[in-house]
Amino acid sequence: MTWWSPLQSACQAEGHQGYEPWWLVPDLVTRNGCHTFMASLKQHKAIGEDLWKGRTDKINAELFALTYGALVVQLIQDYEDYAEVNTQLEKMGYNIGCRIVEDFLARSGLGRCNDFREVGEVVAKVGFKAFLNITPTVTHSAPAAPVPSSRPPSGLNPAASSTSAGTYFTLALDDNPLAEFVELPDEALEGGLWFSNVLCGVLRGALEMIQMQVEVYFISDVLKGDETTEIRVKLVKYLEEEVPVGDD
Amino acid sequence: MPTPMRLNAAAFISPQNHPILVRNFTSVKQDDLKYHYVAHTSLDVIEERLAASSKQNECYLGLLYSMEDLAVYGFVTPMRLRIVIALALSDAVVRDADVVLIFKALHSAYCRSLANPFLRLYTPTDADPATLLTFGGADRFKAFKQHVDEVGKAVTGNTEIKA
Repeated sequence: MTWWSPLQSACQAEGHQGYEPWWLVPDLVTRNGCHTFMASLKQHKAIGEDLWKGRTDKINAELFALTYGALVVQLIQDYEDYAEVNTQLEKMGYNIGCRIVEDFLARSGLGRCNDFREVGEVVAKVGFKAFLNITPTVTHSAPAAPVPSSRPPSGLNPAASSTSAGTYFTLALDDNPLAEFVELPDEALEGGLWFSNVLCGVLRGALEMIQMQVEVYFISDVLKGDETTEIRVKLVKYLEEEVPVGDD
Repeated sequence: MPTPMRLNAAAFISPQNHPILVRNFTSVKQDDLKYHYVAHTSLDVIEERLAASSKQNECYLGLLYSMEDLAVYGFVTPMRLRIVIALALSDAVVRDADVVLIFKALHSAYCRSLANPFLRLYTPTDADPATLLTFGGADRFKAFKQHVDEVGKAVTGNTEIKA
């Protein structure tokens, strides 16, 4: 008997097939979320608002921006290579993302997303809103031809069109709280520094923890003189769910 | 809110009396040097006023002196940075409150520019914070100039301040 067995039996009692991931617990507890996996756009916004207003501890925005700025500048002084700084920021973000997703799912109580399109909506309207109090605009790619190998193995059957590898969504940030006071010098512009690259890491880490392998990268940045700040999140593949080694 | 004042120039001087920025808002380019002199002479008056006043936490110094066509006002920030503005002399009554507003806006522009984390990269580690904006080339305080220009535009309502 393992700690998740009672959960498993509860899931089977509700009529689900197979092993349900632990983070569906909030739905089971509330007893009404089990059969509604698709929240509408308005609901996402409302959940995001509610999370930001009610259930988050807040930090002074200036302090946050100044701390992040000092961090980036320190990395530049230490590594002296802008490409390496980008990599390090992404790594840091990855570590943050791995932890942050648990907190996010526990607080929001959201269930599994039907397809990658919905992942984009939830990330933009609930995730970014809850942690940074911004709501980036999401644009989705046109659905590519479905590739059989990328079907997720669980009992649920998401819509085929948006789950193929290569699907992506783009987040356009209107304002970036990390880059509040920043003016990039010429060397950083030439070196190709993506100042807010930590955000890419956070998204990659978070989505990897919920079984999606993604590529996240900046397309444009107002700090570099572009018109908008845009991040692209591209699905590489769904990851097989693995029972933790050593248990059972 | 239309004000009868015309902001001719603004100058920022460090606590050690080094000029940080002297910005001429009029379109008369030859006056650039004149406003440098104006800022320089205001320094003496500021020192006098600071020595004389017993209240150490008084930021706004009021009218320092007036010249042929200018009224020069002074302001000292809590970090002892000096801000000097030159208003065109006019018959209309200039309210203290309005002038203090201009100073506060200029001070915010300065603070905002100072918060750029990349300034630290180009100065020695133990440099005085007030001199952060003076090190390096002209592009170090491009943003500072822009912020100050915005304040100037807001006051004069003039959208054609040339760089």
